[in-house]
Amino acid sequence: MKRNKFIVVGSGRLGSNIATQMSELGEDVIIVDATEDSFRKLKESFSGYQLVGDATDLSVLEDSYIKHAKTVVITTDSDNVNIFLAHICYYIYNVPKIYVRLADTDKGGLLEGTYIKAIYPFTLSLKEFITLNKEEATK
Amino acid sequence: MKIVITGGMHEADFIIKMLKEEHHQLIVINQDKEFAEYISTNNDIAVFPGDPTKAYVLSDAEADNADVLLALSDSDTDNYITCITAKKQFNIKRTVSKVKNPKNVELFKKLGVDSVISSTYLLAQTILNESSVENIIKTLSIEDEKIVMIEMGVEENFMLVNKRIMDINFPKNINISCIFRDPHVIIPKGDTAIKSGDKLIIISTPNEQEEITKFIKKKR
Repeated sequence: MKRNKFIVVGSGRLGSNIATQMSELGEDVIIVDATEDSFRKLKESFSGYQLVGDATDLSVLEDSYIKHAKTVVITTDSDNVNIFLAHICYYIYNVPKIYVRLADTDKGGLLEGTYIKAIYPFTLSLKEFITLNKEEATK
Repeated sequence: MKIVITGGMHEADFIIKMLKEEHHQLIVINQDKEFAEYISTNNDIAVFPGDPTKAYVLSDAEADNADVLLALSDSDTDNYITCITAKKQFNIKRTVSKVKNPKNVELFKKLGVDSVISSTYLLAQTILNESSVENIIKTLSIEDEKIVMIEMGVEENFMLVNKRIMDINFPKNINISCIFRDPHVIIPKGDTAIKSGDKLIIISTPNEQEEITKFIKKKR
C-alpha cells in the first residue's frame, strides 16, 4: 500500500491555507470539510481534491483515502473532534505523521505517549507577544 | 462504588435514581444548567455544572479514581473525549459511553472505551437474535456473523417428526449439533430420531439460514 496522500481535515483559514501551500509544493492533497462553502477559502492554485462530509464518520474518512495517507493535518474548530480524529488516525489507520490544532493546551495531555504533534495558536501568540514586547523594549 | 455520570437528559435522571437507591457514591456532571438544576432538585443530589470533556471540570468534581464513568451526552465525540480523559488522566477504572452512531460501537472499543452502548445497535442485535416474527426461532450469530446458531422448536405436524437424521435429506451446510428433549440433552447421531416437542440447536451460515428454517418447518 502506497502512502502518498496529504490529508487536511477542516477547511478553515488554517486548513485551507495549509492545503493550498502543500498543493503548490506538489503534494497530493485531499481536503475534507462538513460544509462545501468552506472550500471557498482555498486559493486558485489549489489543485487537490475536495471532499464534503463529517470526518468523524469512518466512511467519510475512508473515502478521503486515509489508508493511503502519509500525513494528516487536523484543523476543525472543535478540539474534541480534532483529538478524536487524531486518535483514529493514530490507533486505527497508523498514519505516519499527524498534526492537530488545539485551542485548549490542557487537551494536549490526551496525546501523551503518541507521536501526534499539537499546534497551539495560544502558545504561538504568547511567544510572539513576548518577542514583540522585547523588541519594543530594546528600541 | 464511586460512579461518575456526565451529560444526558432523561436517561441520566433515570440512571441516577436507580443507582442512588443502591447507595452508590454518585458524581453528576451536566453542562445544561437548567437540566442540572432539575436533576439536582429531583434527586436531592449535588450536580456539577460544566463541560466534562475538560479536565479541570472532572478535577473540580473530584472524579478521580472512580470505579465507573458513564458518558451520556448527545455528542459521540464529547463522550469519547470524556471517557479517554477519565481513563488517561483520572485513573477511572471503567468507562461506558452512549453513542448515537452505531458504527462508533466497534470504533470506541478499539480506541479504549470499555463499554459502548448504542440504542440502534442494540435494537438491531435484538431483531437479529430473536426473530420477532416467529417466536419458535431464535438465532444467535457468532464470529462476526459468519456462523449462526438457530434454535427451533419441532411441532407435531412437521415433516421430520419421527424420522432418523440419516434418513432426512437436509440442505447443505447444516449441523444439528444438539437436541433438547426436556429434561435430556442429546448430542444426535445419524440414527437419532427427531420427536415432536424437541428443540433443535442448529449451526449454520447466515446464507443458508432461511432455507434451513423453511426446510425444518415443512409440514407433513
